[in-house]
Amino acid sequence: MDKVIALAYKDLRVLFAEKSNLFWVFVFPGMYALFFGAVFSGASKGPSNMRVIVVDEDKSDFSAAFVSRLRANEALFVLPREDANTPAESIDRAAALERIRKGKVGAALIISEGFGAGFSGWFDTNEPKLQIAADPRRQMEGAYLKGLLAQAQFEMMGERMGDRTWMKSQMQSWRSDMSDANDLGSGQAKVFLNFFDAMDTFFEDVNDQAYTSGLDQGMMNVGTLDVQKEETGQQPKQGFQITFPQTILWGILMCAICFAVSIVKERITGTFARLCIGPIGQSHILAGKGLACFLTCGGVIVMLLTGGKLIFKVPINSLMLFGVAVTCTATCFVGLMMLISTLGKTEESVTGAGMAIVMLMAMFGGGMLPLFIMPTWMQSISHFSPVKWGILAMEGAIWRNFSLVEMLMPCGILLALGAAFYALGVLMLRRARL
Amino acid sequence: MIEVTSLCKCFGPITAVDDVSFAVQQGETFGLLGPNGAGKTTTISILCGLLKSDGGRVSLAGKTDPTQPGVRASLGVVPQSLALYGELTAQGNLEFFGRINGLTGRRLKDRVAACLEMAGLTPRRKTRVSTFSGGMKRRPNMVCSLLHEPDILLLDEPTVGVDPQSRNLIFDNIEALKGQGRTILYTTHYMEEAERLCDRVAILDQGKMLDLDTVENLMAKHGGPSHIEAELEQVPTNFEELTGPLEVQNLSLDGNTVRFQTGDPMQSLAALNQSGLRLKAMKVETANLEDVFLNLTGRRLRD
Repeated sequence: MDKVIALAYKDLRVLFAEKSNLFWVFVFPGMYALFFGAVFSGASKGPSNMRVIVVDEDKSDFSAAFVSRLRANEALFVLPREDANTPAESIDRAAALERIRKGKVGAALIISEGFGAGFSGWFDTNEPKLQIAADPRRQMEGAYLKGLLAQAQFEMMGERMGDRTWMKSQMQSWRSDMSDANDLGSGQAKVFLNFFDAMDTFFEDVNDQAYTSGLDQGMMNVGTLDVQKEETGQQPKQGFQITFPQTILWGILMCAICFAVSIVKERITGTFARLCIGPIGQSHILAGKGLACFLTCGGVIVMLLTGGKLIFKVPINSLMLFGVAVTCTATCFVGLMMLISTLGKTEESVTGAGMAIVMLMAMFGGGMLPLFIMPTWMQSISHFSPVKWGILAMEGAIWRNFSLVEMLMPCGILLALGAAFYALGVLMLRRARL
Repeated sequence: MIEVTSLCKCFGPITAVDDVSFAVQQGETFGLLGPNGAGKTTTISILCGLLKSDGGRVSLAGKTDPTQPGVRASLGVVPQSLALYGELTAQGNLEFFGRINGLTGRRLKDRVAACLEMAGLTPRRKTRVSTFSGGMKRRPNMVCSLLHEPDILLLDEPTVGVDPQSRNLIFDNIEALKGQGRTILYTTHYMEEAERLCDRVAILDQGKMLDLDTVENLMAKHGGPSHIEAELEQVPTNFEELTGPLEVQNLSLDGNTVRFQTGDPMQSLAALNQSGLRLKAMKVETANLEDVFLNLTGRRLRD
């Protein structure tokens, strides 16, 4: 054991002597935390300040009120601005589409003529009165915009339906449409006319309080359920809490690559062979390397944890489970380190192969972007990435409030993958000529 | 102490070691002399257990498995490549390899200090090895293998790319180890080193062992005659009569300079002196291992 400790101590001294190693292991994950933490700090509100061009071809009071409602939405940056010198009418449909094509804005909303006509304008399925044009690369923003438009439209509808005078005029309009319609049988027409008569009576007789109270909650009232366990009362309310597991993962991944490269470097320089001919088994040599990698991962985690707690105030539900999660994750990637070190005969080839593997694992495992925005097939592939299970285990301890039993699956998978990687790496290393 | 019997090793179609056999006695310094690719490093790698042979057997102090920790503890291997941690200091490297070899506490401290002194690195013990010159790196590279005071030393071309100062220091160290009774196997392609350090030398070429003997015997067997060049004060008119009984080969006269080859230069010079010729200056070039190798293979050591 003394020799394994001596090997690990030597590796740590070599690691700390190289400044570029320190950058990748300690500084890079911190930078990652700052960058993606800032990006995700508004994640719960969706992409803020989405730039949208609104082209109002309807030019009705209703469409103007609709645009005003969109401008009031903090999630949108509606162009042209109200206070700009250029009047809103100056951007037409063609100009808006051109600006999207050039990538200057993500989406445009075209309000066609007839939008303000009432229900017939809103529900005309043959000729939609609201049209969205979105950058093909930013489909997600287009979908998000659709949701915001639906919300605004329902709110406007609610306001209109609260106006009894407008509703009466709408009844009158429908009566005219009925009399013009030739394809409706007399029996059916009578049913509708009776309904309109009843509605007229309702609008005449109901008092204001009773009428408006039915619309208190608006037309689209969607609540939010807390998926956290009630006893904690916590939720991932800040971006740094969301990105904290990813940050730790990146620290561990960089450790794994640094130590994988250090193994191949030792093989090239001959120090590995020198160790192999000493009175020490190869398993001890590799155990020393693994211990050094594991300890470095531990150091990185402690550093990030301290920074996360002190600077970003990241709350952690269970420090004990967090310890279990990071231990399992670090063990898994120590095994991966051993495997990566056998994937080339030069520092360059191992670095390249290591980065490629790590990038793929991070991409498919949610280490770069959240899994939920990925296509379904990619989410299926993510099950094979240890990054996914590492993040899930850490999230379980940080904010998902997993129980010990719930932690078993991600942690078990991490340990199994780590053991498989380690065994494969040791086997390949033994087969490789020194 | 070291026994190699019918050793064979192939790398694909290349036969690196081809039926090599030799034995090194305790306290002997044994040389493996040969050009690059002769099979010297492969032989050492098999001896220390880094490679498995395809045939034959090796024995170190009676043990046939060099990978056993007990055997390795008695073995010191100086690799040809600079197997050091450049990021660590000279002392850091020695301390680390000392611990790997089982040294601890006071003994580790004493041995590190002794090896630093032996390598002439005490003043620069706190300097990172990466800042050393190539020649200077050879010194810690060697003493790292001496920390545990092994009985058997395998030195694989320890002076490659070394400056004269470091080379002399390494030679002094090896001679000191030889004086302590260590068994040393020394590979080199420098015939001067083999002549200076080795009691016996095996000449290797393309994996085969061409001959094995003391340096003197090898030169006597394969070195060819010595070349003698003598400048005479005056060339007598009866020169041919005078040199007739000398029994030398290729005798020639160029002005006042007489040249010839002889198997026994001392006897020929004595005969020359007795012939009545008065010598002004004289140069004797005896055969060396370079000549031995040339005569055995038709090529020079560094071809």
